[in-house]
Amino acid sequence: MNITLTMRILGALLLFLAIALLVPVPFAWIYGDGGAGAFFLAAIIAAGCGGLLFSQFQSEADLSVREGFAVVTFGWTFFALFGALPFVFSGAIPSFVDAFFETMSGFTTTGSTILTDIEAMPPSLLLWRSLTQWLGGMGIIVLSLAILPMLGVGGMQLFKAEVPGPTADRLKPRIQDTAKLLWGVYVLLTVAEVLLLMAGGMSFFDGINHAFTTMATGGFSTRNASIAAYDSAYIDWIVTLFMFLAGVNFSLHYLALRGRIGDFLRNEEFLFYTGLALVGTLLVVLLNMGTIYNGFFDNLRFSAFQVVSIMTTTGFGTADYELWPVLCQYLLVFSMFIGGCAGSTGGGIKVARILLLFKHAQVQLFRLIHPRAVRLVKLGDRPVDKDVMQSILGFFALFMGVFVAASFLMAAIGMDLPSAGAAVIATLSNIGPGLGSVGPVDNFAHVPAPGKLVLTFCMLLGRLELFTVLVLVFPSFWRK
Amino acid sequence: MNILIVGAGQVGYFLCERLSMEGHEVTLVDRDLDNLNAAQDRLNVLGIHGNGASAETMEQAGIKQADIVMAVTDLDEVNILVCLLAREYGVNKRIARVTSIDYLSRGAVLSKDKLGIDLMINPDDAVADELSNLAGRAGTFDVAEFVGGEIQFLGYRISSDSPLCDLTLKELGEIRGMYRFVVVAIMRHGQTIIPRGDDTIQVGDSIFIFAHKEELPAIQYMLQIHEETKRGAQKAFILGGGRIGLRVARNLEERNFHVRLVERDPVRCEKLSAKLKKTMVIHAEGTDIRVLLDEGVANADVFIAATENDETNILCSLLCKHHGTQRTLSLVTRPEFLDLAPSLGVDACVSPRLSAAGAILKFVRRGNVISMATIEGSNSEVLEIEVKRDSAIVNTPLKELSFPRGAIIGAIVHEKNYEIPDGENCLKAGDRVLVFALPEALAKVERFFE
Repeated sequence: MNITLTMRILGALLLFLAIALLVPVPFAWIYGDGGAGAFFLAAIIAAGCGGLLFSQFQSEADLSVREGFAVVTFGWTFFALFGALPFVFSGAIPSFVDAFFETMSGFTTTGSTILTDIEAMPPSLLLWRSLTQWLGGMGIIVLSLAILPMLGVGGMQLFKAEVPGPTADRLKPRIQDTAKLLWGVYVLLTVAEVLLLMAGGMSFFDGINHAFTTMATGGFSTRNASIAAYDSAYIDWIVTLFMFLAGVNFSLHYLALRGRIGDFLRNEEFLFYTGLALVGTLLVVLLNMGTIYNGFFDNLRFSAFQVVSIMTTTGFGTADYELWPVLCQYLLVFSMFIGGCAGSTGGGIKVARILLLFKHAQVQLFRLIHPRAVRLVKLGDRPVDKDVMQSILGFFALFMGVFVAASFLMAAIGMDLPSAGAAVIATLSNIGPGLGSVGPVDNFAHVPAPGKLVLTFCMLLGRLELFTVLVLVFPSFWRK
Repeated sequence: MNILIVGAGQVGYFLCERLSMEGHEVTLVDRDLDNLNAAQDRLNVLGIHGNGASAETMEQAGIKQADIVMAVTDLDEVNILVCLLAREYGVNKRIARVTSIDYLSRGAVLSKDKLGIDLMINPDDAVADELSNLAGRAGTFDVAEFVGGEIQFLGYRISSDSPLCDLTLKELGEIRGMYRFVVVAIMRHGQTIIPRGDDTIQVGDSIFIFAHKEELPAIQYMLQIHEETKRGAQKAFILGGGRIGLRVARNLEERNFHVRLVERDPVRCEKLSAKLKKTMVIHAEGTDIRVLLDEGVANADVFIAATENDETNILCSLLCKHHGTQRTLSLVTRPEFLDLAPSLGVDACVSPRLSAAGAILKFVRRGNVISMATIEGSNSEVLEIEVKRDSAIVNTPLKELSFPRGAIIGAIVHEKNYEIPDGENCLKAGDRVLVFALPEALAKVERFFE
């Protein structure tokens, strides 16, 4: 572990955050909400600490695998710590633990909130909330890779440590170019959504906030009632569409923009993901028929929205699914574990991993009947590397282990069983709302402080896909 | 003709044998002196020792006077280089044996035109296709397709329970009202005869017929070859996952067979498994019959042995036959084994050299031969010939023409209509005629259609 180099890069990342902290300032001036001072102060502190680290630690070494893990894990933690400062300084969220929870929920695109009255917040702070999600969605480190030249060598380590999914696609030979392309697609889709939302009658401010949080599959809203506040079928469908798109591998979006739309249909993960969304929606529509919604189109609109919102781990709400039949809730909880596609902004275990796990299980069964047969697990037409398969098995075991351990802790802190389990999966899969006392119309304000810290850690684990964070626990990681 | 052949392997040797027998001047070039001497001693050819890709050797072999150059070594690159050389020397026809998909595929960057090659042959792929065709035609031991697959040339073995047993051709002709096909040849005790009306079909004969592809189900029914009345797809076992085995597996997958491919190298198994979609790849030795039985070889419809080793192929085929596999097909490269295998009980043997030679020999024939096939174990050929406009035989009933002895017309395709020939038929310009010819009649047949 080269601590000097790690510190230096962390310094650079903090300088970068300081710039990001200045983005909401013009909004503070326009709306006159008095938030500008808090942002300036936070930016100065971040820049000061970052500058100090960057200038004091000089290293010519190249980035190795270990530093990659450390940089990404600590980078994200620092972002949440320093990003929480404006909330505290402005007095909007007085408790630092709460502010830290809210910011981590932002950067990890979880969308769980401790705010009870969102609409009372100053607009600049609401924008900062949404911006943290937008930056975290495609990945802050990936963005830094695209912008900061110093991360060129060894950048693939950082890239792999941050991009979700069992393997990371490389669209261009140079990792910086890949990062730029992914961010380019991301910006393009975001702009498209802003325009479409404004066409549906949303204000520019609301449009930009919601586009940020949709494309990141985050789920922060500027309204207490989330998307339901607009009560517009058009807006519901636009948001549903973009949530769905955000849950797709961005490499596929890039190829589609280059004219290779057929690649969507050749991608097995995408087809499976689409199938899951369709089947999930269909089942929920059938179960909801005649009980909650009378019209078919209302039923379809609300069912599709909730299913896609939970499956892509966005967490927007237009309906209180706790009023739905128990079977519907079961389906939603089930889809919480699955999450989006690899290489998307969505969280969860990822469709590719689930698909491969089942294929692996199928091959195991098959080999019991045909012990001498040689059969490989394939995704599309290409066989999956054994190392990748093993890492997926390890990931699944860890995911379940973390889920059990964290929900045990939450129960120990005093939450009831469904709420404890749902709170953990909602944060670990970066969804946002859970069930019970943390359901879609509730919030996380009532969770005791230790519980908030546990959930905050779950969000970080979920966004960085466990391995990146958990390797730091091994003592041998720190030895020279 | 003056023919230069580079490469004295199986294919090269076979070509030398056939072409020198037909009276062509053949020069053989090879780097291996032993192979070369073996060919020189046994065949009527001139051997030149040296590298075929070297201009010096080729000049020594008389490339300047050659009409055709055939490069049939094991190496694609050498064969291509030989053809490039031949083009510079102004040789008219250049034929190369090429196995790499880089050159064979339709969109190849280095296409055969750019490389100056008139015909690219790939014996491995050709033999794999032939094995797949045989697997799909129950009861046959030889299959060739003509006129774009419309007309099929099929070989059947006559066993004691065959309904054709002890029938004369005249009697057969009476039921031909229902079944439209022509028996063009009978192979008996290693001899090929063109049967006449009073010849009988006997136990142990192999008969060759021409039929339209639409008549096949009826013919199979008549021969009491039960084309799997069982439910579901046919089951095929393939032994050996080399280039040939892989291609057969792919072909059979396309025809909706349940395919099991047995290969002994675990690394190769993984590669095969990655390349194939539905085929079950099994890691085992071919002789490990227990594994094969566990996987259901006893109920298999066809077992195809396609390893590189003739002995393994024949032995494993017999082993499977013994355990109840319906049919066994075997890849056999050594000519000595080809005649032996059927008498042991292997249903059909196929050799790569014959498949390749069929394609090459077509080039040596006169211009109006469109395609041709060679017959295993006999030097007879099946020729698909187009009747030329200015030909003297046009519009005269066949019985008034003196058609060469030792040859028979098996089918006439007139503007997509299939006709069984009899004495009253008249040939028209543009007709496709399928002729079965014994070796001594080949030259006469060519002359007849000129």
